[in-house]
Amino acid sequence: MEFFGLLVISGMMNGAIYGLVALGFVLIYKSSSVLNFSQGHMLLLGAYIFWFFVGSLGLNLFVSVLLAMVSGFFVGVLIERLTLRRLIGQPLISLITVTIFLSLVLEGLVSLIWGTYPLQHVTVFPSSPLRIGKMVLTTQSLFAIGLALASATALIIFFRYTRIGLAMRGVAEGHQIMQSMGISVKRILNISWGIAGIAATIGGILMGGTLGFQLGLSHIGLLAIPAAFIGGLESPEGAILGGLLIGLSESIISGYMGNAAGVPAAFVILIAVMFFRPYGFFGLERIERV
Amino acid sequence: MLKLNNVEVKYAGVILVLRGVSLEIPEGTIVSLLGSNGAGKTTTLKAISGLLRTELGEVTAGSIEYEGRRIDKLDPEQIAKMGIIQVMENRRVLEHLTVEENLRLGGYIRKNNNVRKDLDMVYDYFPSLRSLRNSTSGYLSGGEQQMVVMGRAMMAHPKILLLDEPSMGLAPLILDEILEIIRRFNAEEKSTILLVEQNARTALGISEFSYVMENGRVVLDGPSSKLAENEDIKEFYMGLSRLGEKKSYRQVKTYKRRKRWL
Repeated sequence: MEFFGLLVISGMMNGAIYGLVALGFVLIYKSSSVLNFSQGHMLLLGAYIFWFFVGSLGLNLFVSVLLAMVSGFFVGVLIERLTLRRLIGQPLISLITVTIFLSLVLEGLVSLIWGTYPLQHVTVFPSSPLRIGKMVLTTQSLFAIGLALASATALIIFFRYTRIGLAMRGVAEGHQIMQSMGISVKRILNISWGIAGIAATIGGILMGGTLGFQLGLSHIGLLAIPAAFIGGLESPEGAILGGLLIGLSESIISGYMGNAAGVPAAFVILIAVMFFRPYGFFGLERIERV
Repeated sequence: MLKLNNVEVKYAGVILVLRGVSLEIPEGTIVSLLGSNGAGKTTTLKAISGLLRTELGEVTAGSIEYEGRRIDKLDPEQIAKMGIIQVMENRRVLEHLTVEENLRLGGYIRKNNNVRKDLDMVYDYFPSLRSLRNSTSGYLSGGEQQMVVMGRAMMAHPKILLLDEPSMGLAPLILDEILEIIRRFNAEEKSTILLVEQNARTALGISEFSYVMENGRVVLDGPSSKLAENEDIKEFYMGLSRLGEKKSYRQVKTYKRRKRWL
């Protein structure tokens, strides 16, 4: 039972982070129909930038997180401005291809600046053992779950209740309509990328804090894709739930069947969900009325 | 206020859609633009609002001036911010958003805190929208969606409102209601209105001045009351014979009037 409890906690931790990264996919997909395959590498870059502030410059933890989030925003904005902006109106497949290779560029950039070896460990969360009944947990995982869920909630609230959040949902419905109302679609897309950059950076800090700062962090991008799809690519809430589902199943299955089974299980679940709910659990169904 | 001089529009650089259109829309009036399918009415509106540029269209000759300033090279966002708002045809609501969210986005460019007041103004013009404010706009009826897109444009307090076929597919009763609201909005908010219509009776009834387009050209213009008396308009756009009776289709084959303006 304790073992199961531990699996659940670690599954939720990973799941919350998957959800956060999936939220990045959703933000961009919703407003531009582009699936951003470089999301995982934006996370990697975000994590390393955070490490730079806290490890190299020796800044205060809190300040470093804030600075990393600001940088993450500008990384997203810059990527959109330099690559995708130039491809507006081109076939979607070429935009998506660009994001795939962008991920390699980002990885190259990271290894060029920081090298390919894992970086020195920095303590992000205080790690002391915590007893609940017979289970022994570290406070670290609880922090990570809390932070991931809090930032995800903040993003959802932003999306739903702010002016710019509303404009982003509008852009998702139709670019020409938005332009007819004088709203600059380019600017909104730009901000969407910036916010996806923030989400990626927070995910990167959380992942780096638990797994260490290393190039392998970007693999999480791949696991967040099923999370986004299961939730239905257009729904921020769905992304979080999808993330938790993937995280839990990965952790429980690898706990009982060995590590090798965990990751493929996530994709098996994705395929099963796609069969029964092609729009995902919370995706927007196409409105058809005549 | 708004002036089009010999405007020529090409799509994709080769397809000539407007061949020298000149219009003049004085401040505070309702002007209508008549014509059948493919005459170039919608293209004219898109040339004014700049939305042409989102569909590979381009003003290749002539000029469009708004209050003395050339606007034919500006982005649609800039033109909208100057107060020229187009309501596109086919009731283009933002489907998954609620009615009120649609309206709020309409007022997005007005950087003030009076959204509440503007919403009330729109609900005042379209009382039925108030109870539908939290409904998903994609599931509304055609008439209600037409109200949403018009209300959305009103939120921006347009100086010039470009309406593209508000009558399309609406029941006559709802159409009357919408026409009345257009008239009220013009009178109360001092908004200039350019109305594109296929339905000549509707357009001539509501506007002060009208232009008739065919094949990308303006072929006839004049005060609406006068055009309504014009034999050609009556015959070709309202389906009446010279006696003012319903046209007898028995005669169509044997007798075909030439349009005088061709």
